[in-house]
Amino acid sequence: MSDVIKPQLVLAVPSKGRLQENASAFFARAGLQFVQGRGARDYRGKIAGLDGVEVAFVSTSEIVTHLAAGTAHLGVTGEDLVRESIADADSKCELLAPLGFGHANVIVAVPQAWIDVRTMADLEDVAVAFRARRGERMRVATKYVNLTRRFFAERHVTDYRIVESLGATEGAPAAGTAELIVDITTTGSTLAANALKILDDGVILRSEANFVASLTAPWTVETREAARIILSRIAAEEVARTTREVSARIAQVDIELFAHAEVLFAARPRRHLADGWLTLTCPKDKVAALADWLLTQGAAEVTVAQLDYVFTDKNKLYEKLVARLP
Amino acid sequence: MSVSADPTSAAAKRAASAALIAHLEASGYPRFEPPILQKADLFFNSGEDIRSQLYLTSDLSGAEYCLRPEYTIPVCAHYLASEAAGLAATYSYCGPAFRFRTDGPSEFLQAGLENFGHPDREAADAEILGVTLDAVAALGQSDVDVRFGDNGLIRDLVAALDLSPQWQRRILRGHAQDKSLDAILAEPVNGKGSDHTGVLAALEGVDKKGARALVEDLLSIAGISSVGGRSVAEIADRFLEQAALRAGEEFPIEHRAVLKEFLDIETDPDQASSRLRQLAATTGLDLGVALDRFDARLGFMAARGLDVADFTFSTRFARDLEYYTGFVFEAFDRARPQEEPIVGGGRYDGLLKALGGEGDIGAVGAAIWIERLQLPQRGQMDWWR
Repeated sequence: MSDVIKPQLVLAVPSKGRLQENASAFFARAGLQFVQGRGARDYRGKIAGLDGVEVAFVSTSEIVTHLAAGTAHLGVTGEDLVRESIADADSKCELLAPLGFGHANVIVAVPQAWIDVRTMADLEDVAVAFRARRGERMRVATKYVNLTRRFFAERHVTDYRIVESLGATEGAPAAGTAELIVDITTTGSTLAANALKILDDGVILRSEANFVASLTAPWTVETREAARIILSRIAAEEVARTTREVSARIAQVDIELFAHAEVLFAARPRRHLADGWLTLTCPKDKVAALADWLLTQGAAEVTVAQLDYVFTDKNKLYEKLVARLP
Repeated sequence: MSVSADPTSAAAKRAASAALIAHLEASGYPRFEPPILQKADLFFNSGEDIRSQLYLTSDLSGAEYCLRPEYTIPVCAHYLASEAAGLAATYSYCGPAFRFRTDGPSEFLQAGLENFGHPDREAADAEILGVTLDAVAALGQSDVDVRFGDNGLIRDLVAALDLSPQWQRRILRGHAQDKSLDAILAEPVNGKGSDHTGVLAALEGVDKKGARALVEDLLSIAGISSVGGRSVAEIADRFLEQAALRAGEEFPIEHRAVLKEFLDIETDPDQASSRLRQLAATTGLDLGVALDRFDARLGFMAARGLDVADFTFSTRFARDLEYYTGFVFEAFDRARPQEEPIVGGGRYDGLLKALGGEGDIGAVGAAIWIERLQLPQRGQMDWWR
């Protein structure tokens, strides 16, 4: 009770479902373990060993609201929700990094029976004719009201009317409540099951889960420092996960060897000892090729090691955030 | 682009509003102020563009309301519900309107006037233009650049050329979107290669009834009953229209030349009239009715004392074809030609019917954007004292 309340950094993460599991795994990999207070029902938590951070477990749509309002500093949520729910999202948020999970596309889909409609240009034409014939606009069922309006306006489709749909959108054309839909899809199988097809140029957004920073949150000295620590761990884990350390001993090391290694395999020198031992780091997918090449350069043996973390003085994620803060 | 740098004072705006109202009423346009709070569904059929700018709210019963985003629709609704519905009637208005905008204030002052059911449409067109220009001139804004167009002309031209319905729609839409002729006539780019080109080519030249029956059969074999609000016949027809379009490959070159010549016309109204008549004569296209209307309108303008020779007519000038059906105009302050127009308006004959009016009731109107006017500063405001 006597504690002075210090400004805390609020990190908003999904509270349930696959996104929650993926997000927890993502932070755990970076050595950031969530500690949920008093049982799984508590919606506030901490990060083990890291003071000054409060973890808020909330629904993905609420995360967007918090980021826009500045009541959370950092959050994990889908780009689709960021672009849909925040007017002028780029001025209020910074998408720091795509996270590689929660992939989904926001698409325009029409009944498969519309064999004459393949593109947005076709849709525009059909929409005009539809209205001319019936005196009513074609209905588009969606929960992505803003994304739809923006995308349709850019493609000059104006003769339509949005019918807001908060669930089972793909069933709207069959149910007769809309002519076409704008919805999210991962595999397209739900669309096919409902006899719908995606227009050739009808992908509005290729979305995935993102690590998002709020630009309107109170970024004090304390919260910036907390963000720096979190982001440096995430960056350190990411670099470690995507690179390998390669060691070999080559008796006669030419200076040009390093230049070649960099050009050919994007490899960077980490150590070079007088007795000919050298260590390089290179992207994971170039390891085998680099090893082969080192053998041709006179190495008798090449070893490859995986790293847990690579902390660097340059923290790209944090720099990206700071560049956007006043 | 927002309003000019001049931070027009509230007093100047109030004074300008009062002067405008007085002028419009004296010109035979009695004032009608619809409530600021409007039933939201009144605007839902005006397109998602307007809908996305509404300030919405709801009452305890769940009924949706909005702050009026504009005046024309509420004034139309009032007219249709009144005893004057279907008869000649005029209205003016002046007050705040509200639209969600990111590049300017969301509350703005708008004045305007509407003319419904006038027996002579061209006379009404000229009257609206004349009263509007007089009104802003009375506020000291008399050096204006007037530009106008006529959506009816391109409609008649496209109808006179023997084009498929799809081409007609594409040209009219492209014109409204201010696309170049090349862009309008370019083949739409399809994202993927796998389309129905082969089938379409096979159907080329097959008699229309047979082809339609074939496509309808194919769709019913596929067990397709739900087609999302479009009938199987409708889909089959458009599919075949595309076949015809593809068979034609290039847009007929003589039609392209006619459209180009038409769309190149941008000059003073009298010159434009004679060039349009010349075009009709050399091509043998029947534009007689549209051109007689055009000339009649010019006559009414001149009779009102408007300096017609100083106006610019352009066949490309189109203000939102969805809404306007004929005469359209805008006027710019000559001292600030890069700024947005200070007034704009036109004929929108379809709206009253769409709002439930009986028969074809003509409608023409104009809006005056008070905050875009260069209002006199204090001390030079004798005009309103």
